[in-house]
Amino acid sequence: MAYKGHRINPKGFEKGQIKIYLMVIPMVLLCGLPIIFIIFHAFKPMEELFAFPPKFITVHPTLDNFAKLIKASRTGSIPLSKYVFNSVFVTVAVVFGSLLFSTMAAYALSKIKFKGARVMMQINQIALMFVSVAVMIPRYLVVNKLGMIDTYWAEILPLIALPVGLFLIKQFVDQVPDSLIEAAYMDGAKEWQIYLKVILPLIKPAIATAAILVFQQVWNNLETSNYYVNDDSIKALAFYMNTLTSTTTTNTVAGQGIAAAASLIMFLPNLILFCILQKNVMNTMAHSGIK
Amino acid sequence: MAEKTKRKTKRSLEAREARMGYFFVLPWLIGVLLFVLIPLGQSFYYMWFNIRITPLGTKFNPVGTGNFTQIWLENPEFPQQLVTYIWQTIVEVPVIVVFALIIAMMLNGKIKAKGFFRLIFFLPVIIVSGPVMNMLVSEGASTIPVMNTQVVINALDTFLPYSMAQSIGDLFGNMIMILWYSGVQILIFLSALQKVDPSLYEAAKMDGGSGWECFWKITLPTIKNFILLNAVYTVIFMSGNEQNALIEMIKNAMFSGTKEKGYGYASAMAWMYAVVVTLIVLLFFLLLGSKKDVYDRIAAKRKRALRKEERLQKKVRRRNQRNVRKIEKARQSHRYKTYDGKSDY
Repeated sequence: MAYKGHRINPKGFEKGQIKIYLMVIPMVLLCGLPIIFIIFHAFKPMEELFAFPPKFITVHPTLDNFAKLIKASRTGSIPLSKYVFNSVFVTVAVVFGSLLFSTMAAYALSKIKFKGARVMMQINQIALMFVSVAVMIPRYLVVNKLGMIDTYWAEILPLIALPVGLFLIKQFVDQVPDSLIEAAYMDGAKEWQIYLKVILPLIKPAIATAAILVFQQVWNNLETSNYYVNDDSIKALAFYMNTLTSTTTTNTVAGQGIAAAASLIMFLPNLILFCILQKNVMNTMAHSGIK
Repeated sequence: MAEKTKRKTKRSLEAREARMGYFFVLPWLIGVLLFVLIPLGQSFYYMWFNIRITPLGTKFNPVGTGNFTQIWLENPEFPQQLVTYIWQTIVEVPVIVVFALIIAMMLNGKIKAKGFFRLIFFLPVIIVSGPVMNMLVSEGASTIPVMNTQVVINALDTFLPYSMAQSIGDLFGNMIMILWYSGVQILIFLSALQKVDPSLYEAAKMDGGSGWECFWKITLPTIKNFILLNAVYTVIFMSGNEQNALIEMIKNAMFSGTKEKGYGYASAMAWMYAVVVTLIVLLFFLLLGSKKDVYDRIAAKRKRALRKEERLQKKVRRRNQRNVRKIEKARQSHRYKTYDGKSDY
């Protein structure tokens, strides 16, 4: 085969691509399955939901499940919009705060020399290994002591300290060459300017990835609404959806349809955010001056 | 004097840098301290107690290592699950990492509609956590029904310990799950692969290197750090996953009303689990961690020697000043008489 240089995207179809297609396409199908399943599942009428063996494709799509969901939400004392607002507010706050703090900390731990940096990184790594379920009760005690029960703070603050984000981002900051930072320093940039103008643009892909991870953790989070908040009016949408679909409050048969619709609704924001950020995520560090 | 001011500015620069460092870390540090470290410490303390929540308040009953003996001797499920988990992780993590690397290499190659493929491979990431995943697993969407893993397990069982055979067999059954779990890993590998300098490949091609050789000699060494990162990420992801039976067990123990279980019991379980996870991560670190460059080692050694010398000099200087002061004092109190040449010596 003649050497064709290193163009990233080929202009046309080549024979050499066929073998790659053969390997990739089945896996793509497998990866795409759950999403298609969720979408189809939400539109299934009752008899197809309980069909055995379970069917993958909906034969007679209906909006029945959504109608039931709306009906169920009308019976509650708090309007659905309030839950949506709570969830959006909490999620935005957590994603923003978490990314800001993790990138700051990642920059400092990776590029600034000071005492204790190594110890802090190790602490983060230990925290990573620990199961978050196990610290639930002590966390409750801390939240309680700080007087944050029944406030938005209780839903926001415990989630901001996610060790995974820092771990991922720090690995990427490590790859930023020191010479870039030194050059900026020589030109008279302060540390925060280096952070804003050098580090942040260079680690954009890592930030986008971390944003998606943090977002879905917060958006699907039941724990904070379950344990730290008693006031129904500031609980999150995920919690509400869960109560709608849980077997104790509604009957299981009707619940299945509502659950299918609810999971599609809970899933959509994930998909939308992903579509917005995917360009950044996928646009990896090819042109970022890092070699 | 000139030397002194130079030293001073250098030190203040360093101090300034350190100050900025603390400033940048501070918000994160506070968060971690409040919501991770303090709870961790508390659960470490609790695991030596039997905690019962009664209407009169929480009762703490120190039991020493009682929780551990209880778990190991009377709860047959936990050690068994732990062993299964260890094998499963050790088998599945390399598979996921290698799989992610292969996919990333393919997606990094010359192929059309690459953006679309990347999107699809990353998509499972947004569903593998949360309620949607629970639903899918309960519907049986994560296994391939046609595959009969029992045959594989039986075949492997003849020469491997059962739990290991089991986990390898499960590997085949869980192929789809593995695919879904490797979204972030593929992404990390892609970004690593794109950083490899194309001119290296060109040079290798010029010298007649095949694609296979290029992979082992150029690609792999360059992305070595990322392989480690991915392995660690996978271990952590799998250990903290909601699909994990051990997590479920800890959760159940925490809220169970029986006499011997409860929060202390769950804490003990969680700590043991954390230790096991740490050991597995350490194992991957040992296997994949890069040994430091020879040059780096020499440089570090030289730096240490320099620092030691500096300390010594400082010590001598301090002693010198002290002695000078002492002599001066003594001279002022006329203990020493200097010969001024007037009278007899």
